[in-house]
Amino acid sequence: MSFESVLAQARAEGRTLLTEVEAKSLLEEAGVPVATTTLARTREEAQEQAERLGYPVVLKVVSPDIAHKSDVGGVKLNLASREAVGQAFDEILASAARAVPGARITGVAVQHMAPQGTEVIVGMTTDPQFGPVMMFGLGGIMVEVLKDVSFRLVPLEEKDAREMVDEIKGRPVLSGVRGQPPADIDALTRTILKVSEFVEQHPEVKELDLNPVFAYPDGALAVDARIIIGEA
Amino acid sequence: MAVPGHRLDRMFNPKVVAVIGDKGPGYMWLHNNLPLKERGGRLYSVQLDEKEIPGIEALGVQNFKSVLEVPEPIDYALVAVPRQVSPYVLKDLIAAGAGGAGFFTSGFAETGEELGIRLQEQLASMAREAGFNLVGPNCMGLYLPKAGVRFNVDAPVTDAGEIGFLSQSGTHGIMFSLVAAANGMYISKCASFGNAIVLDVSDYLEYLMLDDETKVIGMYVEGVKDGRRFFATLKEACRRKPVVVWKGGQTEAGARATMSHTGSLAAPQAVWDGMMRQCGAITTNNLDETIDAMKMLLRSKTPRGDGMALLAQTGGQSVSMTDAFAKAGLRVPRFTDATYAALGEFFNIVGGSYQNPLDMAGTIQGNMETLDRILRIVDADPNVDGMAMELSALFAARQWKAKPETLDRTIATLADHMARSEKPFVAVLHPAHEAEYVASIMPKFNDAGVPVFQSFERAAAAYRRALDFARRQGPSAVASSAEV
Repeated sequence: MSFESVLAQARAEGRTLLTEVEAKSLLEEAGVPVATTTLARTREEAQEQAERLGYPVVLKVVSPDIAHKSDVGGVKLNLASREAVGQAFDEILASAARAVPGARITGVAVQHMAPQGTEVIVGMTTDPQFGPVMMFGLGGIMVEVLKDVSFRLVPLEEKDAREMVDEIKGRPVLSGVRGQPPADIDALTRTILKVSEFVEQHPEVKELDLNPVFAYPDGALAVDARIIIGEA
Repeated sequence: MAVPGHRLDRMFNPKVVAVIGDKGPGYMWLHNNLPLKERGGRLYSVQLDEKEIPGIEALGVQNFKSVLEVPEPIDYALVAVPRQVSPYVLKDLIAAGAGGAGFFTSGFAETGEELGIRLQEQLASMAREAGFNLVGPNCMGLYLPKAGVRFNVDAPVTDAGEIGFLSQSGTHGIMFSLVAAANGMYISKCASFGNAIVLDVSDYLEYLMLDDETKVIGMYVEGVKDGRRFFATLKEACRRKPVVVWKGGQTEAGARATMSHTGSLAAPQAVWDGMMRQCGAITTNNLDETIDAMKMLLRSKTPRGDGMALLAQTGGQSVSMTDAFAKAGLRVPRFTDATYAALGEFFNIVGGSYQNPLDMAGTIQGNMETLDRILRIVDADPNVDGMAMELSALFAARQWKAKPETLDRTIATLADHMARSEKPFVAVLHPAHEAEYVASIMPKFNDAGVPVFQSFERAAAAYRRALDFARRQGPSAVASSAEV
């Protein structure tokens, strides 16, 4: 999928929110480490893709009409067999249709379930005065309650990305607490820079969220991605 | 000095100035600009009102009834006419080929009224079309101490200016200029730019970063029109010289206030913070921090590390001083054995101490040779990156008053140390019960170039800011000794 074709498709359908599968494939092409996610339109496709990606897998509903997937029973985690995937596929379609009657359901996203890492968030918003702004923070309550996030304007230099990681109050968490190994700061820095490059190249992108990104002792992986584009 | 070829150069280095629409009985703007004559410039008045003309002429200023009658090309004009008249004045200034004009006139978009908004749009489109340098409106205009152009009658006229200051607020521009002068620091060029409908902060900043006279730049800003351009200009300016940014409207309530003050839209403060760090600017939160940061930048050597030697006069103060510097994220390291051995030869440890911090009044006993000896020993210690010393008005003011030469010797000892040492030095003199007297002796410290702060916390914060700035300028050149 090229950026142009995804953009054209979304605009043709009157969408500003890209699907998770679209967002991830664009980011993957741009060199951002994302958990590979494929679109299954049928039960059988979902099972084949799960076999290919490796168990356990996660299934998530893909619909332009559903923003909060877990609220409608649209997410099933930790599926470890062909049978479990098939059953989850059916359940997701049924509960999504029940929760949002008339919703257009494109299919189900299938993704290998990444091992748990330290959760961080990498995002981009468009400020009316300053244009594209990158955001970094620790996941969960650190960002929601404590607003412990750092900002830099696009384009970022390497030192900017490094400072973004270093200046959050929760920075010691990334150095490893309670016997945890330290997170790979270089990988987080690279992820931030890759996203900065991506949004710089594509001014149509108005908002972007990688939430969460798992930070590992060796590497980082965005397990969910959301992209909003500007109206044509 | 000037920036030849820059569009703001003529207005920032004026020889011919016109004050338009000033009124009695005060004639504030004419009084502000009278020094122009003694600085070799020419001041003219433009006023239609017959009643005002005798008062203007009594000041020795020639009056004309129209901008177009002024016999020389106007480099800078200060416009203080009612808002409805302002487009006519602007039309004449454009026709006369003036170098620029500050519009003191207010009542524009900041009022939220339809008439004000319409007049502002009219001024903006006229000036833009003509490429005219309109400062403001709703501002105090320029303060150019060398040329004799002022925005306040108490602002000094001087050639000693090193600070370029930009202010979205007239009061902050004036207050910074006067408080800086009281601290022995002077303005090179200052612009109060109010609603910034034509020239915005980035235009002035670009000029100041190119201006050789301006060694450091400060600004009070509430919002910018073109954020991307400000980002690029600030980044470039910070590469050339230190820039201190005091951002107004940091809280939600404060941001609402900026809306009615200068009509500034507020980006979230956290975005501003990130942007300013990214550019390498020094950030402050109020007037005092801005003054202190300037003092550190202009008077002190560049900090090369975070290891502080703290020289207090007495025990309790040595504890407070250590807390203040440690809370600012600075270290108070142990001295080397050689330093301890050298201090141990003469230090009076009964009621004193020569750990770091030092508790030294009992050892010095008013003897400046002993102070000098201590300064030399501590300065030579490789664990020490910077030095801070307490001066005690509480105990010394009585003697300084009785024998002024003891104060002079103290200041001379500190000035000699600063001339000799490669390390940054800051002095702390809390006014204690002697505020009036301490204020009266500050010019002596200023003249000697000794940076004096009123509290440990203010000195520590200023040191911290200068250190952070130095580290961002060249991370390899400036390291924490703890990391070495």
